Amino acid sequence: MNQKKYIVKDYMQKQVATISKNATFKEAVEKMIHTKTNGLVVVNGNNQVIGIISSWDLIQHIVPDYLEEDRHLASFESPDVFEKRIQEVQDNPITKFMTMKVLTVMATDSIMEASTLLSEFRIRQLPVVNDEKKLVGYINRTDIKRAVGEALGISFVF
Amino acid sequence: MNIFFTAIAIFAVTYIIIISEKIHRTVIALTGAALMILLGVLNQEKAIEGVDFNTLGLLIGMMIIVGIAKDCGMFQYVALWASKIGKGKPIPIFIMLCAITALFSALLDNVTTVLLIVPVIFVVANNLKLNPKPFLIGGILLSNIGGTATLIGDPPNILIGSAAKLSFNEFLINLAPISVLVSIITIGLLYLIYRKGMVTNKEAQEAIMKFKPEEAISDKKLLVKSLIVIGIVLLGFFTHTITHLEAATIALSGAALLLLLTMNDPEKHLKEVEWTSIFFFVGLFIVVTGLEQVGAIRIAAEKLLQLTGGNMTITTLSILWGSAVFSAVVDNIPFVATMIPLIKDIGAISGLSLGPIWWALALGADIGGNATIVGASANVVVSGMAEKEGHKIGFIEYMKLAVPMTFVAMIICTAYVYVRYLR
Repeated sequence: MNQKKYIVKDYMQKQVATISKNATFKEAVEKMIHTKTNGLVVVNGNNQVIGIISSWDLIQHIVPDYLEEDRHLASFESPDVFEKRIQEVQDNPITKFMTMKVLTVMATDSIMEASTLLSEFRIRQLPVVNDEKKLVGYINRTDIKRAVGEALGISFVF
Repeated sequence: MNIFFTAIAIFAVTYIIIISEKIHRTVIALTGAALMILLGVLNQEKAIEGVDFNTLGLLIGMMIIVGIAKDCGMFQYVALWASKIGKGKPIPIFIMLCAITALFSALLDNVTTVLLIVPVIFVVANNLKLNPKPFLIGGILLSNIGGTATLIGDPPNILIGSAAKLSFNEFLINLAPISVLVSIITIGLLYLIYRKGMVTNKEAQEAIMKFKPEEAISDKKLLVKSLIVIGIVLLGFFTHTITHLEAATIALSGAALLLLLTMNDPEKHLKEVEWTSIFFFVGLFIVVTGLEQVGAIRIAAEKLLQLTGGNMTITTLSILWGSAVFSAVVDNIPFVATMIPLIKDIGAISGLSLGPIWWALALGADIGGNATIVGASANVVVSGMAEKEGHKIGFIEYMKLAVPMTFVAMIICTAYVYVRYLR
């Protein structure tokens, strides 16, 4: 039996939803809705990964710190605060609330390595980069699941 | 003579860096303490003798108790309940929140108080459709004034109480009346300043009236256990004269009891103790002990007595006002830590009765911190939270209001100290 190599390149998605580092909160929401994703890779002009932004980051940015400090107060908060906060933050640059420390993998890395990062840091996705740190793909839990399925000999019927 | 100047140099550089805030105060205090030993001013044994473990034990014990108790939501409950009692009307709510801040602050340390009260302020102000700034400024002022009332209300009081062997009841008898008086006058002045902007509509009032404060209580069992332990601890403080138990024993026993009752993971709660503050105290104690060891504090005490001519009234009032001015500009904890041995020396040299001087030190250090936005930790915490929500409290903007208010408060304190102790 010839050993199958589980390499990131074979499972990653080449189409990645990205957003420029100069984008605003509103533009990030727009892009996420249009591309139907919950995660965007933030890139600079050279297509290098400088951050990652998820719908979770957006939600966290909307909730004011004082409610996070004291979550049982949320039920007392005036209902108009939700919309007011969104109006307030819509023009904030995404660099203000994106995750800056991004873990990445290379296309030649093993799926085990990618899985280890996902598992250790409890994250959902990893941008795939080349030697120059430029974005070449994207691998998430669904892609890993596909590799697991293959290893178990489960056939895919779409 | 060499050691003498070494000690003074370490002390001066340490304090200058603490005031400049260039390096974290804990790091610099520990560095200063280490240098006192490494450069031969103190040996390790003397350094450890200089650490007041009663102060540390009391601080740690209270931090553990409050850290567990605050999770049950009782403080939020009281604050929300007060808003309802105010019938959703802005002015009564404002007065109630200020009064409750003062009350909490007497029992909790000031920073914990504002961390609990500021979120409530935002929620209430948003419901009332009012600018939260007057409420925030009221919160700062009253947290420092309320903290003056008890032994455990503000760290300078803990330092003074422990060093001068003053009991919880003595603090209550001597400082609570003036704290209440200054609170009432401060709230009155705030009312006169802010009453015009305090109007809201019927809808907003109804929103407040719909509050169900009991929803803020997230854990009833914890609430009961916390109240029991806080009750026992307070009883312990009140009965100190009979039991002769030290404050640290009472607070740490309370902490152990609450951990036992809740069967909570001790690791989590011990991590929540503000260890950076505790180590800041340790460093300060050693730096001050170094200064004491070489006789510098005694010389300062002699100089101060020369200036005041050894006159009780002049000495006490200079300490009251001097403490207020210093505490307005710099952190009151290092200031008080240095003043304690100095005042003890004043007592030893002149034979003056020290009681009124301790109260003057506490009043000046606690209330003086109100004058500027950097004068006390609570001020810094509130202004940080306010800025995040887009209600930046400007340095000058704050001073314009707070300096006159603090001045009035200090005048009242002067009259109180004079009439009660010096006449």
